[in-house]
Amino acid sequence: MLSGRGLTKRFGGLVAVREVDIDIPRGEIFGLIGPNGAGKSTLFRLIAGIMPPSAGEVRFDGKPITKQSPSAICIAGVVATHQIVKPFRAMSVVENVMIGAFFGRRPQPRGRKNARAVALEALRACDLAERADSPAKELNLSGQKRLEIARALATDPEVILLDEVLAGLNPTETDRTLDLIRAIRERGVTIVMVEHNLRAVRGLCSRLAVLVEGRKIAEGNPDEVLADQRVIDAYLGTATHA
Amino acid sequence: MAKAIATAVVLLVLIVVPFAAPNAEYALDVLFLIFLYGAMSSGWNLVGGFAGQVSFGHAAFLGIGAYTTAIGLKAGMPLVVAIVLSGVLAALYSLLIGLPCFRLRGPYFSIATIGIGEATRLIALNWTSLTGGASGLTLGGAPPIVPQYFGALALCAAAVGASYWIKISRLGYALAAVRADTDAAETLGVNTTIAKTQALVISAFILGLAGSVYAQHYLFISPDSVFGFSTSISLVIMPIIGGVGTIAGPVIGAVIYTFIREQLEANFQNLDLLAFGLLLIAIVLFEPKGLLGAFDRFVRRRRPAAAPGASGG
Repeated sequence: MLSGRGLTKRFGGLVAVREVDIDIPRGEIFGLIGPNGAGKSTLFRLIAGIMPPSAGEVRFDGKPITKQSPSAICIAGVVATHQIVKPFRAMSVVENVMIGAFFGRRPQPRGRKNARAVALEALRACDLAERADSPAKELNLSGQKRLEIARALATDPEVILLDEVLAGLNPTETDRTLDLIRAIRERGVTIVMVEHNLRAVRGLCSRLAVLVEGRKIAEGNPDEVLADQRVIDAYLGTATHA
Repeated sequence: MAKAIATAVVLLVLIVVPFAAPNAEYALDVLFLIFLYGAMSSGWNLVGGFAGQVSFGHAAFLGIGAYTTAIGLKAGMPLVVAIVLSGVLAALYSLLIGLPCFRLRGPYFSIATIGIGEATRLIALNWTSLTGGASGLTLGGAPPIVPQYFGALALCAAAVGASYWIKISRLGYALAAVRADTDAAETLGVNTTIAKTQALVISAFILGLAGSVYAQHYLFISPDSVFGFSTSISLVIMPIIGGVGTIAGPVIGAVIYTFIREQLEANFQNLDLLAFGLLLIAIVLFEPKGLLGAFDRFVRRRRPAAAPGASGG
């Protein structure tokens, strides 16, 4: 459903992502893993339209979305969260989420009342309903990460792209977020997540792709992929690609 | 509710004033100026406040409105047509410059608007066949103050009303999101370019109408008066004094601005820019949210029970 062909991103002489082909089927929790600097976040940004690729193409439901703005991609049904949380700090929590409700995939709710209702539903799903009217800047990191997810949910997406939502969370918060991701999957939303936490990824993802030095070196179900010698080498530092 | 009642009372009083004191020419003149500046300041605030895109070139729209009315009236155009055309041409012009300028962000956008404002002034200065160049345009007649008073009051009320309507609308949410974080707004489906352009076009329309009112009042316009950089600066100063991004702030700023300017013009000519510069520095340093922000803080201090209770997230 969401696919990339020959995705490449160069920054001057550095090739961050090199000719990656990727296919994300509907209904998966798709994990994108790799050591630091492997180009995961860059690939993520190419798919989300936050950054244009130097070469290659992204398609969603067969239609190319490569040259579209992030807002157009969101309206098409693919929404991204930010690794470094970007709450609208001056607004309340529910107003943050109302932005997603007002402007996400069509049909959009008409009027503030409808937008607020959609937003509150997303906040309930993310365990933030009782903080709805607090200023967004008063949430702690875990809360702000869930706010990112709630805003994304309120856009009524077909695909949510999560960029390291677990980073910086303690074990309790991590488990809570994993449950949340599973619940979103139960709504029929496809999930693509860039993640560092291999333990979490193994239990959660139905499919994994491994990126090393900008190349995709393995893809498949988590147990197979994580047992792959090339993946182990890459993570343990005895990379043969250097 | 209290705010709505207060607004209605103020509006009612202002409507009654010219009937109660038809001969108080000076007072009516000052109120006229407050309405005119209030409308201009509210118009600027849609882009500079709501969307957070600080423009230093808004005099361009005022000037286009003023020149459209002056040229139109001289050519024998009916007044209503000239007024509407003033707003429409300013709005069209804003569309033309919004498209390239909104590709820029933050300070780069602001710098580009300075260029646009100055370029527009130079066009007006040198297109002598249309604008009369540096010697400006003079209109005949001496219209009575009362109809102008009501014209400016209506424009100011409309500008404030439009601000309120935009603030609670879908567009208002888009602009607030753009102001807070343009990238995050984009990823949530907000077409930030369209949102900013919509705000700019409405803003320019209001400035264009204000330019028309200006031309009808002063009966003389020149590139330096309506297109001048100091006019653009005053449009930034007023909302900042009152409270940028709020609904009442720009009008409150216009009241303060008008009074200070009237005093300075009468007693210390040419000191106004110095005075406003100092005032601006003081506000940005001590109360960036302007007088409304200071007022809010004062109210909150007297009612500490209303403090929000923050617990773990």
